[in-house]
Amino acid sequence: MIPDWMTSAPRPFDTVLVANRGEIAVRVLRAAKESGLRGVAVYSDPDEGSLHVENADQAVHLPGTTLADTYLNGDAIIEAARSTGAQAIHPGFGFLSERADFANAVKSAGLIWIGPPAAAIDTMGDKISARRCMIESGVPVIPGEEISIGGDSDHLGVLASAAARVGYPLLLKASAGGGGKGMRSVHEPKMLRTEYEAAAREATAAFGDGTVYVERLLKGARHVEIQVLADSQGNCIHLNERDCSLQRRHQKVIEEAPSPAVTPTIREAMGEAAVQAAKAVDYEGAGTVEFLLSDRGEFFFLEMNTRLQVEHPVTEMITGIDIVQKQFEVAAGLPLGLSQSDIGITGHSMEARIYAEDPSKGFLPAIGDLAMWRAPAGPGIRVDTGVREGDAVTVDFDPMLAKLIVHAPTRTAAARRLDNALSDLRALGVITNIGFLRQMTTHPDFISGGITTDYLDSRDISDFAEPDPDPAILVAIAAAASRFGLDRAGSGSSESFVDEHTGHSGDPFRTLTRSFP
Amino acid sequence: MEWSIGESGVRYIAKLSDSEGTLSLTELTRDGHEAPHSEIGITRDSQGARLLVDIDGSAHIAHVAKVGDDWWIHINGRIHVVHGHEPGSADSTAGEGGLTAPMPGTILEVHAKAGQRVREGQTLLVMEAMKMEHRIQAPKAGEVLSVNFAEGDRVDMGATLVELGD
Repeated sequence: MIPDWMTSAPRPFDTVLVANRGEIAVRVLRAAKESGLRGVAVYSDPDEGSLHVENADQAVHLPGTTLADTYLNGDAIIEAARSTGAQAIHPGFGFLSERADFANAVKSAGLIWIGPPAAAIDTMGDKISARRCMIESGVPVIPGEEISIGGDSDHLGVLASAAARVGYPLLLKASAGGGGKGMRSVHEPKMLRTEYEAAAREATAAFGDGTVYVERLLKGARHVEIQVLADSQGNCIHLNERDCSLQRRHQKVIEEAPSPAVTPTIREAMGEAAVQAAKAVDYEGAGTVEFLLSDRGEFFFLEMNTRLQVEHPVTEMITGIDIVQKQFEVAAGLPLGLSQSDIGITGHSMEARIYAEDPSKGFLPAIGDLAMWRAPAGPGIRVDTGVREGDAVTVDFDPMLAKLIVHAPTRTAAARRLDNALSDLRALGVITNIGFLRQMTTHPDFISGGITTDYLDSRDISDFAEPDPDPAILVAIAAAASRFGLDRAGSGSSESFVDEHTGHSGDPFRTLTRSFP
Repeated sequence: MEWSIGESGVRYIAKLSDSEGTLSLTELTRDGHEAPHSEIGITRDSQGARLLVDIDGSAHIAHVAKVGDDWWIHINGRIHVVHGHEPGSADSTAGEGGLTAPMPGTILEVHAKAGQRVREGQTLLVMEAMKMEHRIQAPKAGEVLSVNFAEGDRVDMGATLVELGD
């Protein structure tokens, strides 16, 4: 049944298929439910019974062992939509979200694509055409050059001369890369070959394309991005900025909104540039225009992500706008119903990405079973999770488990709330970056708001090591837990224990020490 | 039972005394020597995986979970892993010269061969796991005794990749 709010829409739908997994699939499926829509999940074998499947009204199994068989299998996903009566497909982020051919295939199948037009994905998805388009529409870009590498030609020679013209330090980007994959910084000419080969391999492994882009690496710059929303009537607004400067090897660690480095003047100029960028490609739906902000307040277009971003929640917290709900509305053909003057900033929001990884071992991904997963709760705390207690963390997918988002009146209060919430997140059984995130949120450099994109990579990670624990306490707890037999029946043991003498159920020691009035 | 914490190879033994359901730490040994410790008393909470921990008279809550031989402990906002060892057992994490695969994955590059001398921090292998590349580096200077895998090989977690001698 079409929900009330959509009955007058040009392209109404009542069922949405989410072509993704993990926390973003959960997020979109919950938003669908809240909007009165039916949600359909797809899942591959390792995700059978996973949280995103649990949050769907219906779930379709994608057989096969590789991503190409499953979450990257456009035909199977479109067939799943047909068989379940889903009229619309939401791609989430990653996987098929930035594949213009998939967007086209969805539309050709007579389905609604919850995303921008395929042409916009195409233009922005290729860093080189995006850059050309931005130059034409007057959006500032970073000095750089494209390298067309064909077959077995002398690509290193071509690359080296382009690198010399652009100047070191520089950034090598595989044209089809993203999320830190296929991107390498090169500080001196002799490292060019090694880094190029690594970038090309990563990009081919993850995205299947080997073209390279060389650009000047701006030192001491911040990563600031603008969330945009556009409808099919030509309205386009921005929802202010997010600051994602705290990165490790181009993977964002903590994001926040608003940016501590953005003044109202910069915000207005950057917002206008972002809207200009979106309009240049006739954008529709939710998108993000990323900029590098120099310490002198100049900003340069980095790229446009033609999809929902991992860090979209911080914008939702400060603007009060549900971006996924807006994606549904725009996809149905409804106008935004918002003008730029409706958009304000309330308080400050931060997001920490919870990864299954070991900071003490070079952030190596970790695997295991989540023997305990208890997320914090309270005013101003939001947890977007893809996992539950008892779930297995495997090598099959990205190691991001969840996002912990806080909202508070001020930046200082938000940082404290984030640290507090992190300390309450009880994730046992899999090594995570939670302790590292706590060190980060309480670090003077973070508190002062002066973090730049090169900060973490130029630091010794041991600077963020957790304080040494008191071994006596931990050993006593381990020994006591063993003595109490907490390992034998898991967390439910106390409920099943019945004392032979008293007939009381529960812990025998509790029975003995209980005092009655 | 002997215990070690995190990556440290130090072995601890805790002696507990039981008084009406409260287990008190009476003695702590650290690698066989008695070590000082706080006054610690532990009671089981009605919740299965929760312990009440009294440290020098102040109350704390610990959440625990057993995974294999390890106790995972959340206390005072921090997460710790305490490994259990049978008394006298060899320390599996102590460096025996073998470099093991930190994750299941695929070998991308091999940069060392048997007989080669390597310096500390030198990259021996590059492997791919979870879509990211990881460099396997020499933890110390020494001679490569053997390289057990070739490019393109799939390796399991814990597989010995390279044997390194002095």
